[in-house]
Amino acid sequence: MNPGFSQKNRVIIFRLFYIVIFIVLLVRYAYVQLIQQDIYYRQSERNRIRPITLEPPRGVVRDRFEEILIDNVPAYSVYAIPNELSSPDSVFAFLGDLLDIPAEEFHMKYKRDRRGPFQKVKICQYVDFEALARLEENKLDLPGIVYGVEPRRFYPSGVRAPHLFGYLGEIDEKGLQSEEYADYDRGDIIGKAGIEKIYEKILQGKKGYQFVEVDALGREVSVIEELKSQPPVPGLELQLSIDAGLQRLLEQKMDTLRGGAAILNCQNGEVIALVSKPGYDPELFAKPITLKTWKELTNDPAKPLFDRMVQSGTNPGSTYKIITAIAGLQENLINPEEKVFCPGYYRLGRRTFKCWKAGGHGSVNLRQAIEQSCNVYFYRMIQKVGLENWSKYSRMFHFGEKTGIDLTHEFSGSVPDKTYFDRRYGAGKWSTGLLLNLTVGQGELLVTPLQMASFALLVANRGYGYRPHVNRIIKNPATDDDQEFFEHQPLIVQGIREDVWDLIHQGMYDVVYGVNGTAKRANPGKIRVAGKTGTAQNPHGEDHAWFIGFAPYKNPKVAFCFFVENGGGGGAVAAPIARAMLTYLLREDKI
Amino acid sequence: MLWDKDDLKKADIVLLIAFSGLLVIGLLIIYSATHGENLDINQNFSKQAVWILIGWLLLALVTMLPFKVYHEMAFPAYIFSILLLIAVLFWGSGAGVKRWFAFGPFRFQPAEIAKIATLLFLAKYAADSKRNFKSFRDIAVAFAIVGLPTLLIMKQPDLGTALVFVAMVLPILFWAGLSLFTVFLLIAPIITLASAFTFFSFFIAMVFIIGVMVVSGRGPKVIIPNFILNIGVGIVTPILWNQLHNYQKSRILTFIGLEQDPRGLGYQVLQSKVAIGSGGMWGKGWMEGTQTQLRFLPEQHTDFIFSVLGEEFGFLGVLIVLVLFFLLLWRALNIAQSSKNVFASLVVIGASTIIAFHVIVNTGMTVGIMPVTGLPLPFLSYGGSSLLTSTLLVGLILNAGRRRFQYL
Repeated sequence: MNPGFSQKNRVIIFRLFYIVIFIVLLVRYAYVQLIQQDIYYRQSERNRIRPITLEPPRGVVRDRFEEILIDNVPAYSVYAIPNELSSPDSVFAFLGDLLDIPAEEFHMKYKRDRRGPFQKVKICQYVDFEALARLEENKLDLPGIVYGVEPRRFYPSGVRAPHLFGYLGEIDEKGLQSEEYADYDRGDIIGKAGIEKIYEKILQGKKGYQFVEVDALGREVSVIEELKSQPPVPGLELQLSIDAGLQRLLEQKMDTLRGGAAILNCQNGEVIALVSKPGYDPELFAKPITLKTWKELTNDPAKPLFDRMVQSGTNPGSTYKIITAIAGLQENLINPEEKVFCPGYYRLGRRTFKCWKAGGHGSVNLRQAIEQSCNVYFYRMIQKVGLENWSKYSRMFHFGEKTGIDLTHEFSGSVPDKTYFDRRYGAGKWSTGLLLNLTVGQGELLVTPLQMASFALLVANRGYGYRPHVNRIIKNPATDDDQEFFEHQPLIVQGIREDVWDLIHQGMYDVVYGVNGTAKRANPGKIRVAGKTGTAQNPHGEDHAWFIGFAPYKNPKVAFCFFVENGGGGGAVAAPIARAMLTYLLREDKI
Repeated sequence: MLWDKDDLKKADIVLLIAFSGLLVIGLLIIYSATHGENLDINQNFSKQAVWILIGWLLLALVTMLPFKVYHEMAFPAYIFSILLLIAVLFWGSGAGVKRWFAFGPFRFQPAEIAKIATLLFLAKYAADSKRNFKSFRDIAVAFAIVGLPTLLIMKQPDLGTALVFVAMVLPILFWAGLSLFTVFLLIAPIITLASAFTFFSFFIAMVFIIGVMVVSGRGPKVIIPNFILNIGVGIVTPILWNQLHNYQKSRILTFIGLEQDPRGLGYQVLQSKVAIGSGGMWGKGWMEGTQTQLRFLPEQHTDFIFSVLGEEFGFLGVLIVLVLFFLLLWRALNIAQSSKNVFASLVVIGASTIIAFHVIVNTGMTVGIMPVTGLPLPFLSYGGSSLLTSTLLVGLILNAGRRRFQYL
C-alpha cells in the first residue's frame, strides 16, 4: 500500500465518485419524471389510445305495408395483418380452399390496400357463419388472418327485385375523388345501383367513433370508457310504394320470361310493382362475389344485370296507335265515324304493308280499329295526321324524355321527327313508309316499358298524371313519427278535349270487352279493365308482346304495362298476366 | 472452521437488508411485466423466485467459506475460465453470437464465471506485497490479466460485458496503491480519443490534460512523453476513423449511442423514456403502467426492468431503488476500508465496482444518458445467471465483512 496516500483518502475518492454519480442519475430521473412528465404522459396516451370508427347500421327498406324488403344480418369480413402474415402465398391458398374463393383475389386486395405492418387489410367480406366456423377450426394454420363482424344486406321477403334494390359495393377510386362522396373513406361500402345508390346518403347514416386501447402490436385491448365516444347515427329507413305481395306474384308469373311489368298507382304515380326478368338473386352481391360469377352475369346473353323496364328502349308496337288516335281526334283530322276498309294489307306505291290479320278486318271505324288493333286503319289515318303532329303528341305525352323515376340509369327513349329524318336520310328523301311504321309503334321509335306504364296512367287520368317513383316515406327509426313523405310530381298533358278521352277510353274498353277485342283474356270478371295490346315485330326472333292499360275502367286506380320479349302476341301472352294481377288485387281487397 | 455462532452478528445487516429489498422489488416488477396470458413469459415470476432461493443458498455458502479458499482458487479458476471462454467460441450455442453453452433448458455463460475468476485473480495479483504500482511492468501485467478475457469476450461479441472487465481494473489498482496521477494518465488517452473529432474539443482536452500534469508538479520526463502520446492519439484517431467502412462507423456510433435506428435501439430508449417520464412522481400503480402492460416497452423484464419501475412506481420508486443500491455500495466501501486482509479488501472493491458499473450503465441507459449495451440491472432484471453472479459478488463482500479482523 502506498503510505503517501492513505486508504482513508482513497475511500473518500470512491465515496465522492458514488455521490456524484447517484446525484447525476437522480437529477436526470427527476428531470424526466417531474419536469418532462406531461410530454411523456401525452406520448404514452398517444401510444395506447386509438380512435376507431363505428359503422352505422344501414337503413332498412320496407314495402308499402311495412313488410321488410331489405334488412341487415351479421356477416363477417376477413382481414390479414401484414406483420403476422409470414407467408401470404400458402396462407391465402389455404384460405381460398376454406372459403371457396380463388386466392388471387386475396392477393389483389392485399397488395392494393396494404398500409402498414400493423394495419389490417380487408381481403374478403360477407363471409357467412358456416365459412367462418371452418376458418375458426383451422385458425392455427392461418397466422395473420383475423375476422370482424360487418353487417350485410339480407332480403327476407322473398321479393327478388335486384334492379329495383340495387346492390352495395366498396367505394372505388373514382368515387373517393368525387365531390359527391367527399366524406367517405377508403373501404366504405356504398350503394352501387338502384335505390341503394339513389338513396345512399339517406340509408348510410353517420359514422361514430370511440377510443380503444391498443397494445404495441396494434391489437385492440379494450374500449376506453372515460373518453367520450360518438355513437353512430343509424341510417334512415325507406318505405317503398312497392306492394311486396303483388311484386312476388308478378315475379313468379314472369319468372321464366324475358321482359317485365310496371304497375303504377293512378292517384299519385307510386310504383306498386316493378319487375324485370331475367334477374339475379340480390344475395349474390351480399356474399363474396367471385370474378367468375361476375363474368357469368355480364356475359349472359339474356343480360340479367339489365333493367328492361327502365334502362332499355324498344318498339312499343300497336300500343302506340293511341298516340295517332289522340293526335288525329284532337286536331280534328280524324272523323271517328269514318270507316276504312281493311283487306289485310295496305299498298303504298310499290310497297305492301300488312295488317296483322291476313284476312283483313273489313270496314272499321276508330273505336273498332282500336278494339281490333287494325293496322290498315292507322296506315290511312297517319297520313292525315302527319309526322309533325305525331311527333308533337308523342312529346306532349312525355315520350323521348326520362320519367324521372328514382332509379339509376334511366333511358329516355327516342321520338323521331322531321328534322331527324331529314338529317338521317336527307331532306325529302325519306318515304311515307317510315311514317306508317311509326304509327304502329315500329321503326325508329324507342320507348321504355316504364314510359308505357306512365303513358297508360296519363290516359287513365285523362291527362293528369304523376312522375313514377318507388319511394314513399323516409323514416327515422329512432323516432317513429319523424317521417318525410315523398312529394308527388305532377305530369300533365293539357288541353285534350273530353270527347277525345271518351273515345279513347271506349276503344280501350272494347279491347277487353268487345266481340273482336284483342285482350279478352285480361278480363278479371268483377271489375272493368281497359287496355291496348301490342305485338312489336322483332327482326331477330319472335315478336315482343305488350299490354298496357288501367283499371277500374270508371275510376282508374292502377295503370300497368306488361312487356314480354319474344313472347308473341300481346293479347295471348301479356293480357293473362294482367288478369292474374287484377284477380290478386281484388282477392286481397286492394283495388 | 466453517460455521461461527457469531456469524449473524458479524454480517453487515444494512447491506443484507438493501440486497433483500432489491430482490423483493425485482420480483414485484417482474410479476407486473410478465403476468398475462402469454405462457412463454408468465412463468418467469416463479422461475425467478426459484433462482432467488438458489441464490440465498449460494450466498450462505459463499459467505461461510474461509476467505483463503478464494485466494487459493483464484489462479486455477482464472485459467479454467479462460479455457471456457476459448471453448465457447468454438462450441458455443447461438447463431452468429456465441456466448453460452446450452444444457437442455439451461444456458450457461462462461463470461459470468470469468468475471468472478478474473476479479479474484487480479485481486490476488495486486494484493501481493511484492507489487509496486509505480513500475510499468506490474501495471502492464495487471492489464494483461484483465485484457485476455476482455478480448475473448469481445470476440463473442459482447461489448457490454467486456466493458465490465475494463471497468474493474483501475479501481482495484487504485485501491492497491496506484497513484491518482497515474490513474489520470491512463484515462487521458480515452478523453483525447473522444475529443479528437473537432479541433475545438481536442484543443480544450489538451489544455485540460497539460494543466493537470503541470499542476501535479511532475517533471518534464513524465509530462513530455505523455503529451506526445495524447497528441499522437488525437491525430491518428480521425485518420483511422475515416478508413472505416460506413457500416462499421454506423455500428460503432450506434453502440455508443450517438446514432439511433428508428425501430431499433433508439426506439427502445424512446419507449423507455416515455414509460419513465409518464410515471411522474408517484407512478401509475403496480400493474397499471400502460407502456408496460401493453408491451410498448421492449425487454421489459430484463434490460429495461428499471423503466417498469419508473412507470409504475414513479420517481419515488426510482429514488428508493437507487438509495438501496447506494447503501449497498456505501457499506461495501466500509468493509473494504476496515478489512485487515488486503486480498479480501481488493475483492470487495472489485465486486462493488462490477455491481456499480452495471447499475450506472443500466439506469443511465433507460433514461438515455448511457448507450444501450445490454447490461442487466443486478438483482432486479430477470435471469438466473445474472442473478447468481450478482449474489455471489454480494456473498464475497459479506464474507469479507464478516472476517474483517482476520489477517489471513
